[in-house]
Amino acid sequence: MNTKPDPFIDGLVVQLAPVTPMKASAGLGGAAASLAVAIVMVVALMGLRRDISALFLLSSGLFLLLGAAASLSVIMMGRPSVGSEHGGWVWAAAMAALLPATTLLMGVTHGPAAWTESDPETGVLCLAMGLLFGLVTGGVLVAWLRRGAPTSPERAGLLTGIAAGSFGIFAFSLHCPSNDLYHIGLWHSLAVVVAAMIGRLAVPRLIRW
Amino acid sequence: MKADEASLARLAALAQRGNRAAYAAFLGECQRWLKRYFVRRVGAEFLDDLVQETLLSVHAKLASYDPARPVLPWLAAIARYRWVDQLRRIYKARESAFEDEVADDAEEPEIAARISLDRLFAYLPSGQVQAIELVKIEGLSVAEAAAASGQSESLVKVNIHRGLKKLATLIEKA
Repeated sequence: MNTKPDPFIDGLVVQLAPVTPMKASAGLGGAAASLAVAIVMVVALMGLRRDISALFLLSSGLFLLLGAAASLSVIMMGRPSVGSEHGGWVWAAAMAALLPATTLLMGVTHGPAAWTESDPETGVLCLAMGLLFGLVTGGVLVAWLRRGAPTSPERAGLLTGIAAGSFGIFAFSLHCPSNDLYHIGLWHSLAVVVAAMIGRLAVPRLIRW
Repeated sequence: MKADEASLARLAALAQRGNRAAYAAFLGECQRWLKRYFVRRVGAEFLDDLVQETLLSVHAKLASYDPARPVLPWLAAIARYRWVDQLRRIYKARESAFEDEVADDAEEPEIAARISLDRLFAYLPSGQVQAIELVKIEGLSVAEAAAASGQSESLVKVNIHRGLKKLATLIEKA
């Protein structure tokens, strides 16, 4: 190979320091750890809910899967490669969207009482707590993206928000005692939507390179 | 001698472990590869700057390469990102001479076709491609590009704006 001296390249070579390759397993480990931290914080600070219902299992499972799918996409986006699609999260999002869609449909037929049943006062708390506990995952994923080279900062920001909101509300749902479709479908879903908007607006400027 | 995918990947992995000789060789090969990669898609006066900016990104983002994966698609993703970024930044460029040299990647034609810049343009409507080529690459003014292409000036501007936006979403996908 040609080794003709080049001052520009020589300048970069002098600055070389060993780096740890960004393995997907390390990123997934970080995302899983962030979820574990959020869960421990919820359980330690607020306590576990007392019962398990079908709606709780279904809705929590949807948020967990959506958070995992979005996290995986974010992790892969930090390691760019032509030919990568990063589209798997769309199916998880479509499945999770069934929850608010069902709530909306049932709410229309149920009338104004649906709003009251959603328990807006507690709902706002769930929304805020979902966002708060989602910060753990959001911080981990932003740190990953800052170290990596995301070629679509806007989409990476959106997905970071979705992952953070999903894991945050999943963690908080372990405490939230509600088994009401209107409450979970509206307020818990709203935590993901708001987090996605925040991620889309705030994260790109943090990760652009 | 031109580095192939396997030896370039080996050099990158050694560079990640701090081997400066391997890193110098790696950057040298990247520099030559990037010049061939960009030559038909950037004005000659911008070529060296774009190659240097891309090498700086390679340096800053070296950790984002996973040695378990092919290195050229990684390098191409970084190169495309810098290229789209430069197209966005160029508003007025002088007329530029084009080199006729075609990137010769006959050793790995499938990879070369998969990661080429032309492939990105294939996803854009012809009007957007024409507007971007005339104004952002050849360096014509919007008025000159409108006259050359038969598009109105406002359409040229709209096509550039929409085209660049679309390109940014296709960097890894296309």
